[in-house]
Amino acid sequence: MNIAVLVKQVPDTNEIKLDPKTGTLIREGVESIMNPDDRLGLETALMLKDAHGAKVTVISMGPPQAIDVITEAMAMGADGGVLLSDRNFAGADTWATSYTLGKALEKLLAETRLDLVIAGRQAIDGDTAQIGPQVAEHLGWPQVTYVSELKLEDGSLRAWRKLPGGVEEVVCPLPAVVTVLDAPQDPRWAMVDRLLWACGPKSPIRVWDAADIEAPAKSTGLRGSLTQVMQTFSPKSERKTDWIEGTAEEQARHLVNALSQRNLI
Amino acid sequence: MAVWIIEENCTGCGLCAKACPYGAMVIEDKLARVTDRCTECGACLAACKFEALASDIEQEPIPDLSGYKGVWVFAETQEGKLLPVSRELMGEGGRLAAELGQDLCAVLVGSGLEPLADELASLGAKKVFLADDPRLAAYATLAFTRVLADMIQAHAPAVLLMGATPLGRDLAPRLSRRLDLGLTADCTQLGIDKETGNLLQTRPAFGGNVMATIYTPRVRPQMATVRPGVMAPPQARAGAQAEVIKQEVKLLDSDLLLKLMSFTPLASQGVDISQAKTIVAGGRGCRSREGFGLLAELAQEMGAELAGTRVAVEEGWIGVERQIGQTGVTVRPELYIACGISGAIQHRAGILGSRFIVAINRDANAPVFSVADYAIVGDVFKVVPAMLAALKEAR
Amino acid sequence: MSKPALRSDPEKLLRQIISRFVAQEITPLARDMDESGKIPKELMRKIAQMRLFGMRYPVKGGGCGGNSTLYCIMSEELARGLLSLAAKVSKQCLMGTEHLYRFGSKEMHEKYFAPAMRGEKIGSFCLTEPEAGGDLGAVATTATKDGDEWVISGMKTWITNAPIADFFTVLCQTDRSKGVRGLNFFFVPRDTPGVRISPRFETLGTRTTDIAEVAFNDCRIPGEYILGEVGKGLKSLLSILADIRSMTAALALGLAKAAYETAFQYAKERQAFGKTINKYQLIQSKIANMATDIWAAELMLYETTRKIDAGLPAGKESMMVKYFATETACRCCDEATRIMGAYAYSMEYPAQRYFRDARFLLYGGGTHEVLQQNIARELKF
Repeated sequence: MNIAVLVKQVPDTNEIKLDPKTGTLIREGVESIMNPDDRLGLETALMLKDAHGAKVTVISMGPPQAIDVITEAMAMGADGGVLLSDRNFAGADTWATSYTLGKALEKLLAETRLDLVIAGRQAIDGDTAQIGPQVAEHLGWPQVTYVSELKLEDGSLRAWRKLPGGVEEVVCPLPAVVTVLDAPQDPRWAMVDRLLWACGPKSPIRVWDAADIEAPAKSTGLRGSLTQVMQTFSPKSERKTDWIEGTAEEQARHLVNALSQRNLI
Repeated sequence: MAVWIIEENCTGCGLCAKACPYGAMVIEDKLARVTDRCTECGACLAACKFEALASDIEQEPIPDLSGYKGVWVFAETQEGKLLPVSRELMGEGGRLAAELGQDLCAVLVGSGLEPLADELASLGAKKVFLADDPRLAAYATLAFTRVLADMIQAHAPAVLLMGATPLGRDLAPRLSRRLDLGLTADCTQLGIDKETGNLLQTRPAFGGNVMATIYTPRVRPQMATVRPGVMAPPQARAGAQAEVIKQEVKLLDSDLLLKLMSFTPLASQGVDISQAKTIVAGGRGCRSREGFGLLAELAQEMGAELAGTRVAVEEGWIGVERQIGQTGVTVRPELYIACGISGAIQHRAGILGSRFIVAINRDANAPVFSVADYAIVGDVFKVVPAMLAALKEAR
Repeated sequence: MSKPALRSDPEKLLRQIISRFVAQEITPLARDMDESGKIPKELMRKIAQMRLFGMRYPVKGGGCGGNSTLYCIMSEELARGLLSLAAKVSKQCLMGTEHLYRFGSKEMHEKYFAPAMRGEKIGSFCLTEPEAGGDLGAVATTATKDGDEWVISGMKTWITNAPIADFFTVLCQTDRSKGVRGLNFFFVPRDTPGVRISPRFETLGTRTTDIAEVAFNDCRIPGEYILGEVGKGLKSLLSILADIRSMTAALALGLAKAAYETAFQYAKERQAFGKTINKYQLIQSKIANMATDIWAAELMLYETTRKIDAGLPAGKESMMVKYFATETACRCCDEATRIMGAYAYSMEYPAQRYFRDARFLLYGGGTHEVLQQNIARELKF
């Protein structure tokens, strides 16, 4: 059993705050972390490894510093890791990202059999939830999205999909691509001995660039992206905020008055 | 490095730093500097007014796209009925089609859905593309992908909109990759660029602390999924007729690989906060189930529904059916009262449609205040009891 | 042309991971643990699974292959969550197991060291006596050779982890005529007949720290349970003293940062006379002084651990940083309570716990009165 897990390094968006005066982001001290859904994907893979003895390889595309999510994944129990890093990969939309990941998976497939690719449902910096299905299409494999639990059966997988209205149980033949939004247990913590090993000279982490995966410049990064960012702006609301001051009692009375004047209560 | 500063031209104005979604651009000694946070996304390039930014990113040429016409709406159904988001998309799609001077068309994929064509016509569809087959009765990613791909290749629309529902978010990326189309997920605002006719797709990005406007310059159709509950449905015009175009359904056995074994519905609590007129919601700052008890009192006094953030749900203070935000429900009440909610973007995005927002939080820097009409910096455990007293007094 | 191997910085990544572990697993439980004096077994299990107990030992010996710097990063980050828990883990990594690791037989490694690395067995270090603290010449616990066995007799006090320990590393006098040259460490399993442990001490702070007195009444242990060559006890103690002191400094630094951050956040939220109190210069002065001291302590600490890791002498530096970092912690915890006013007096907020816990650091690794004297001696003053 060989499993590839797709992980992404993201800024911890939960820590981001807005400057109340300028409306701009306060980014100081915001750490880069392994995307939470991807961490659940890795835990799902490691649980399969515990149960069936699988070889787990993590793959990430990102700048050189994204090596940290691979190292952490190795420290949690992954057996191998590949960082896809090349200046040509930068600025990729989901099409170009899934193309690049797809090319890397092809290279991995040339080395070894792969039974399963697991990805997080979506990344907290983009929330697009597109990479899993797009990679599945690249490989021509079936996809199972929104998975919260996964079991392996003879030549197929059984997955429980957590949807807003309920839980769907499906069976899908392997190989397949699965995207997860939950796992039966909290993701395990890194083991320090493995962490130091993965940071050291004997670490099996590999770094592949565009030439390694035979990805042409016109299909990767910003140039290969089909969508482009036209502009970004702070979601400044048109609301004029009325800052109510005073003691709790004064604030409450002021608010209740204001609301009843607007016939809201 | 793909982006660099031309120092002679840089005035240190900071426009690039503001535009950068990753906080990678800093201004030091009146000069911009690209830090190692840079993902080379290129968002800063357009922002600079002084030609002080350069990049070696090559642009692909734009082919002639004039042959693509029509705004398509994928009309998602459940048990033979249109989902509300499908109606919302018809409203928005109609507006876009009018702006482009093109037809609004609806796409129906399923089994026995033909009766819905009239309803779609009443919502503005000039044409309804119909793929009707018993094998399409239940949603299957690969089967729906194949049918839609065939339709798109046969009719070459300019725009394809889908709801950002679990189905839409499963299907759209698969389809976009099959046909090599650009796809923008979870849009909250759509428009048309008057010069190029490009679809301008605005969505929260980077944890939504930033809004990004995205376009798809060189391929058609331009695909976007749209967040349910954001767009307004159109006025239905009874008696309107649409041309129904039937699509031959050609499937492979490999398109029907996934077997649905069972479905366990979530125990419904009978609440639908997306329809509530007044909502009292709590977050981490409410600290406990008891803290939520206080909010429940306030909600009862105001005739409001109680809701909570992801944290509140995870802590077990409130049920998952009352969760607001990206992974939860989008709400548009008349009055929304956020108690002890810092307002992560997912949450803010989920409440932006509210008419009035009140925020109570101890931290004056809490992002929730950026969307509030009334801001109270204070302790929930003091302010809410005071509100209860004031409400009783006013009654 | 071969590409240079790209690797993560282990120090940065370890700090990040432990910091996240503290935020998710320790901080939410800190108040409960402090009030009950108990650390949930599940939490200790997670710490063991992260292999934190093996931080300092080589991989071949069953450890993680870390060093003093990584060890102190761990101690510092854990102390930001709960000082007593950080101390418990840090001691198990060092004093609780070091002599066993270095001098224990293969069988002792299998029976005690390996389980200690898994967090299943707890080691405890017995140095202080009722009449001998920093004054090692006054150690009165004796070890007497009797045939193939050693017989241990004496009383040890202020023994951290004693109530929960499975084995003890005990400093004994083998030959009173030789003074400190007669000192040796001995390995005493808890179930050795004659070991008596007093009830747990009630303490001001670090309430999850189990401290008690241990009496050894003619405890007979096998000859191989002497840890190190005869007469080399002082030498082996001195060899880990710099580690003990820098670890204590790391705990102090973590605690100081926790107090600082609490006060910092509070001052930005708390309103007084129409503005938040961070706008007042007296509060700004406090915050500036705290941050300055913390930075100095941090620089001193990691300069010291780098010396230790390079195999350089760091005795003086470790005393200086233990002294300075602990004073910094005491000062920061005190200032935090002043910035926070009455809120610091309420058991509901952590400021009071930082204040109480800080006092614990004054004693371990030498009182500051003794340390200052020793620093002066090191300076040949």
